[in-house]
Amino acid sequence: MARSTVMLAAALAIALVLPLALSAFYVVLLTEIAVAALFATAFNLLMGFGGMVSFGHAAYFALGAYAAALLAQKAEWPMLAAFAAAPLVAAFGALVFGFFIVRLSHTYFAMLSLAFAQILYTIIFKWTSLTGGDNGLLNVWPPAFLRSVTAYYYFTLLVIGACFLALHAIVNSPFGYALKAIRENPRRARFIGVNVRRHQLCAFVLSGFFSGVAGAVFAFHNGSVFPDFAFFTKSFEPLIVVLLGGMQSFYGPLAGAFGFKVMEWLISRWAPIYWPLFLGAILIVVILVLPQGFVGLFERRAWRLRAVNGKK
Amino acid sequence: MEMTTSLFPWITNSPLIAVQVMSGLSVGMFLFLLSVGMSLIFGVTRIVNLAHGSFYMVGAYLMAALIEVLPGNPVSFWIALLLAPIGVAVLGGVIEITLLRRVYRRDPMMQLILTFALILIIGTLVLLVWGPDNKSVARPEALAGSVRILGQPFPSYYLLVLGLSPLVAVGLWLVFYRTRWGMLVRAATVDREMLGALGVDVSRLYTQVFAFGSWLAGLGGALAAPTVAVALGMDADVLINAFVVVVIGGLGSFAGTLISALVVGELQSFGILIFPGVSIVLPFALMAVVLMIRPWGLLGEPEE
Repeated sequence: MARSTVMLAAALAIALVLPLALSAFYVVLLTEIAVAALFATAFNLLMGFGGMVSFGHAAYFALGAYAAALLAQKAEWPMLAAFAAAPLVAAFGALVFGFFIVRLSHTYFAMLSLAFAQILYTIIFKWTSLTGGDNGLLNVWPPAFLRSVTAYYYFTLLVIGACFLALHAIVNSPFGYALKAIRENPRRARFIGVNVRRHQLCAFVLSGFFSGVAGAVFAFHNGSVFPDFAFFTKSFEPLIVVLLGGMQSFYGPLAGAFGFKVMEWLISRWAPIYWPLFLGAILIVVILVLPQGFVGLFERRAWRLRAVNGKK
Repeated sequence: MEMTTSLFPWITNSPLIAVQVMSGLSVGMFLFLLSVGMSLIFGVTRIVNLAHGSFYMVGAYLMAALIEVLPGNPVSFWIALLLAPIGVAVLGGVIEITLLRRVYRRDPMMQLILTFALILIIGTLVLLVWGPDNKSVARPEALAGSVRILGQPFPSYYLLVLGLSPLVAVGLWLVFYRTRWGMLVRAATVDREMLGALGVDVSRLYTQVFAFGSWLAGLGGALAAPTVAVALGMDADVLINAFVVVVIGGLGSFAGTLISALVVGELQSFGILIFPGVSIVLPFALMAVVLMIRPWGLLGEPEE
């Protein structure tokens, strides 16, 4: 635990200093890594800690992004107000959809979450007068003091750092432990007095909230929002990131996001059309060879070392 | 990603109820053709094959490629229509043997992610082989014109699509309920282990079922090729439609898929008439309602 705190502090220090050494291009990449990491960590609150796999998490990312863009552009709210309200909209969406979704389990949970996300996607796609339809909403920029790439990067780092602290506290709270108990054995959790559905819904709403934060950060970073944010392929992104990083650890998705975005950048730079092919191939390798993800690979080794030391 | 218009170009918007019922029926029959393979594969292997739309897309591209290669006489179209789905079936069989076979005992989430990975890979390979430009496939001369049905002009080629779909339904019923192979497939959906214990090579049966399901997707794609622009992205359209139909009908249920396809077809047909703006949301809304009330679908069976 202490070791991971040290490593995290080191990572944070590096993240703070990096923009001084790197060109704007890499700062953009770092911002995108941070967004992907938050989205995946929010998703993993459900998958890794709650044992619930959503196939429609793009819905809450998109709700956050569109709420931020619409409030800033159509309602002409100040950016920070729009930014603060957007995750609440996503959380409300997660409450309404989640109310029905958590009633189901496993495959049906995944399917209903996908159905709701697809409903949201078609609404965004069709409601052209509000959302711009296929053309999306353009010119969603932050105010002047956050306009530069580096300023926005620090803003992202601040927001996402706060979200990580909050998520870490949630996972290690009694609520987080109850969630893990439900994951391991819902029936037993119910017998010891845990209200299973309420905890699941709570986790769903929290996950939706933080996905909404990721969406809102991304909207102002990207300067535009598109219906694709809610499309089912987007829902697979956090799933892939979590899978790469390993779902059993809190920081797995962070490592996964780093690996995912760096790979995407390396391959896209060389030949963008090959990226889905590589991603697909990597996924197949992970599924067939490394079911614990890349972090799992190291963790298993660390665990084995500890076991050896313990014997001594 | 437009749902109704691109996938079902023949859908009408007529004040005549009879015309609209017919239109919905035709959409439903085609939806059945698109989704029954997915349902069949799930019934036997318990895998929700997200790459179903990709197989459909490959079928359409193979159709376009074969027609380009074959000499330009009237028979070529029919030869291509025969060969393209077979090519897709071979592809499906190879994928089952090399990849899916390894994950049957794994967590269903891993299976879903694997088939999602196939979407990405097949999509890129199609782009690499056939390039980014849309392809169009000419209709055979005999079916290039149009006929009048209930006073409405109706392209004759659609009659082939709409006529073939029910034929496929009847053919499937005959295969499942009147042949030994069909009996084995049905037995596998009920109790795979018992079937294996009785000496049936279940592994081979899985490969055959997967190839057969892929063939159905390929047939849908090949048939649809002359009615739509053969383009990247047609995979997602079909996947989502097929997914909705299969989930509403009950994964693995043949009759459920048929009923659900017809219901969704009518829903889309009348949706366009009554709620033009929101009609494409209706199938998802129906799917959500069905999942809430009967998660296993209209005619599916609850797990456990």
